[in-house]
Amino acid sequence: MDPTSPLHQALPRELAAELLALARAHGAEFAEVYAETATGGAFSYEEQRLKTSSYSVTSGLGVRAVIGDQTGYAYADGFAPEDLREAARVAARIARDGRAGTAVAFRVVDTPAPFTLAEPAPRALDERAKIALIRRADDAARARDPRVHEVSIGYADSSRVFIVANSDGLWAGDEQHLSRLTVQALALEGDQRQQGLATAGGSVEAGYFDTVRTPETIGAEAARIAITLLAAVEPEAGSYPVVIAPGWGGVLVHECFGHSMEGDTIRKRTSIRAGQVGRPVASRGVTIVDSGRVPYSRGSFRVDDEGTPAQRTVLVEDGVLVGYLWDHLNARLTGHSPTGNGRRSSYRNVPLCRMTNTYIEPGTHTPEELIASVERGLYCKGLGGGSVSPADGNFSFQVTEAYRIEKGRLGAPVRNATLTGNGADAMLKIDGLGNDLQIDGTTGSCGKDGQWKPVGVGQPTVRFTEITVGGTQA
Amino acid sequence: MSDPNDHALETLAQRAIEAARAAGATHADAVVEDSRSLNVKVHEGRIDTLRRSATHGLGLRVIVDDAVGVVSTNDFDPEALAALARHAVALARLATPDPANVMPTIDEAEAGILDPGDAAGRLGTYDPAILAEPAERVIERALALERIARGADARITRCDHAGVTLGDGAWVLANTHGVLRRERGTSISSGVVALADDGMRQQSGGYGVSSRSLAALPAAEAVAREAVARAVARIGARGVPSARVPVVMHPDIAASWIGRVAGAFSGEQVMKRASWLSESLGQTIAAPLVTLVDDARLTGGLGTSLFDGEGVRTGTHRLIDRGVCARFVYDLYTARRVGGRSTGNASRSYTGAPGIGFHNLYVMAGETPPEKILASVERGFYMDDQGSFGFNPVTGDYSFQAQGFWIERGEKAFPVDGVTVASRSLDMLRGVTAVGTDLVFDGSTVSPTLLIAEMMLSGR
Repeated sequence: MDPTSPLHQALPRELAAELLALARAHGAEFAEVYAETATGGAFSYEEQRLKTSSYSVTSGLGVRAVIGDQTGYAYADGFAPEDLREAARVAARIARDGRAGTAVAFRVVDTPAPFTLAEPAPRALDERAKIALIRRADDAARARDPRVHEVSIGYADSSRVFIVANSDGLWAGDEQHLSRLTVQALALEGDQRQQGLATAGGSVEAGYFDTVRTPETIGAEAARIAITLLAAVEPEAGSYPVVIAPGWGGVLVHECFGHSMEGDTIRKRTSIRAGQVGRPVASRGVTIVDSGRVPYSRGSFRVDDEGTPAQRTVLVEDGVLVGYLWDHLNARLTGHSPTGNGRRSSYRNVPLCRMTNTYIEPGTHTPEELIASVERGLYCKGLGGGSVSPADGNFSFQVTEAYRIEKGRLGAPVRNATLTGNGADAMLKIDGLGNDLQIDGTTGSCGKDGQWKPVGVGQPTVRFTEITVGGTQA
Repeated sequence: MSDPNDHALETLAQRAIEAARAAGATHADAVVEDSRSLNVKVHEGRIDTLRRSATHGLGLRVIVDDAVGVVSTNDFDPEALAALARHAVALARLATPDPANVMPTIDEAEAGILDPGDAAGRLGTYDPAILAEPAERVIERALALERIARGADARITRCDHAGVTLGDGAWVLANTHGVLRRERGTSISSGVVALADDGMRQQSGGYGVSSRSLAALPAAEAVAREAVARAVARIGARGVPSARVPVVMHPDIAASWIGRVAGAFSGEQVMKRASWLSESLGQTIAAPLVTLVDDARLTGGLGTSLFDGEGVRTGTHRLIDRGVCARFVYDLYTARRVGGRSTGNASRSYTGAPGIGFHNLYVMAGETPPEKILASVERGFYMDDQGSFGFNPVTGDYSFQAQGFWIERGEKAFPVDGVTVASRSLDMLRGVTAVGTDLVFDGSTVSPTLLIAEMMLSGR
């Protein structure tokens, strides 16, 4: 946090204090200002042409005033002081009793970051270097197989800097950098047409793309998936054992369990998990964690968008529900401490209680043992998008790459499968955990109330006794 | 809410394209947006969140020697704009030149500037009453949603997401060929999720509506009662064994499918052979009952617009005409690539490059009342809720988690959940055996009830 930075010059402490006072002019108990500048760059590459290069810059300040469980919110684009004061006055109107709050002295949140980037990729790589990554991925995808007809590649990155200050005297800020390289390969053969997707990135150093996950790796992977799917069979419909690969498969625990642990739905009792502390909610041996401190993941940060330091929160310990996720407002209203899960998509939005990196801790089995134990089932190597209805717990996931399991061995590739179930009992159906935890912090984005936030998800290889698999074959 | 100042937006757009030319752009266009909204969420009889927004932004696209660069900002300071324009030109110099990168001339865009207020009035997209609506009335409308839902049935334990949002926005586009477009629009939406408890499980039923004018928005009473009816009907939902059955799609479910199907008509996907309809133009792809329309000129439509995101005049297009794959849709770039004309389907927000999008997409109403469709099914599934993911845009494969009712002898026998419904879109289109009369334009993608002859239902 450099006090000479443009953002600090746009929001000096005196102005922040004045805005907080304005926001509390009508009796709000709590007020907060959040100033942000975000820049983003993107390149899209299709048909071996760099089709578009783009760049954006957005800055502004949001003001929140809270009285009891009621929130007033307004924001200004840019930092013209009179616009900021107007936003504070508008937010203040949520309260009506006319008593102004008292001024506070700020104290800086100086918790160390879980990791720091010496050369964040968005800033340390220049445009030509980013375009070079794209071309390398394109070459690798096309070289893999002549059936690869078309490759679409996107590189997008962003850097956001923010300051958050509140009427409790908190003064905090962070700088967050994200990069993502995405390859989509389209394979054609006869009248068959299939697509494969692979990504790399996260909150990473410039050197990541040469040392950790290279454009060659993901180009070849996207092509491999598309080619594999050309020969895939339709899935069998029904409920049967499913084994899900480590890493991105954690999207399942994010959707079908994590969302129901978010403090807003717990306080309002709209979640099926409200009032379940101490109860068994997952199989014995299953431990579920949310941590904003996973190195180099998209879901990680030093402080959340309310200034609370990132922390590791255990949600389920050995199958028993032990804690929820809390943002500032919902923690205050329920007598808990914030867990570093107050997040917002930008200064234009109120912070919500959101996950960071959510994962299942590893068990003791080798992944081979878990597959070998299944007589007839499905092995899901890749999952696509997933969603859940938090109120009734119904969830579903698109499976992008899967294989039949027959007599403990992987069989034919399977396409177009969907996994569904209910969050109420899904974690109770886990009956085997691998020793191979991976956390995928490269690509996930989670949507809630119209706001999107980058997240990480993870798990070891996980075996479920049964999941309902949607398919076209009886 | 104050009136957005169109003149100031035009001046800004013109200044941006002049800055682009000064920076070395061959052609440029600028999009400026200015919008305001008020969003009220309520919980347990009180305001939960009251959020006011006033957003402005500018997007600038430049073409330099046939290559494209795009930038956007919400900082309108002249020096910042000049620096951004230079950055756009520098980005374009990195991109691949392609003679298909063009912007429309006045002739190509079919010029004829209409007075924006007048045009918006005739299109029914602008309602001054929304701007004049006092915040207190908006709050009361949101509170009423929750109050009515709570009181409508003893089994409703609580509500979630009860809220109302209203907004108005102005949009200006200018390009260096002299095209200048202005549009204004208003919108209001309201919705609520009712939660029912039958002692065993919590079931939810949500309903929301949107419209361009205050008068056209259904009353809170009707919205709340529909949400309650949906939640209560789910009580006792259970699984069923896997089976191949006819599926009756509720209009919401049919619309969600049709919106995904429409992606296959994108000229870009077709050109890249990434569409499952790439080779199907002129062929019969659906039952003759099916006509799929994209209509930019629908009065009061949520997707209604005189111009597309590049300033090209919009129209009404039949994508599927009585079962035949009749037309793909194009923006200027993809039209040039395939030697055709833009269909006015460029979509654009100030934050990015144009893409291909739709306006008001709908399946034309058929001749069978929805209750007769249900009555015609001896044994099958009535689908009225689904998961968010399960469609493959490249293959048209369809596989969604579903909720609804088991149908026995033409009646809803009991509520069902924990199932998925799967097929391929081409088989589904060909298998449409009835189209309902119940087409309602309550969103920008809508459909009447559809009966699909056979789909695979996956359950226990």
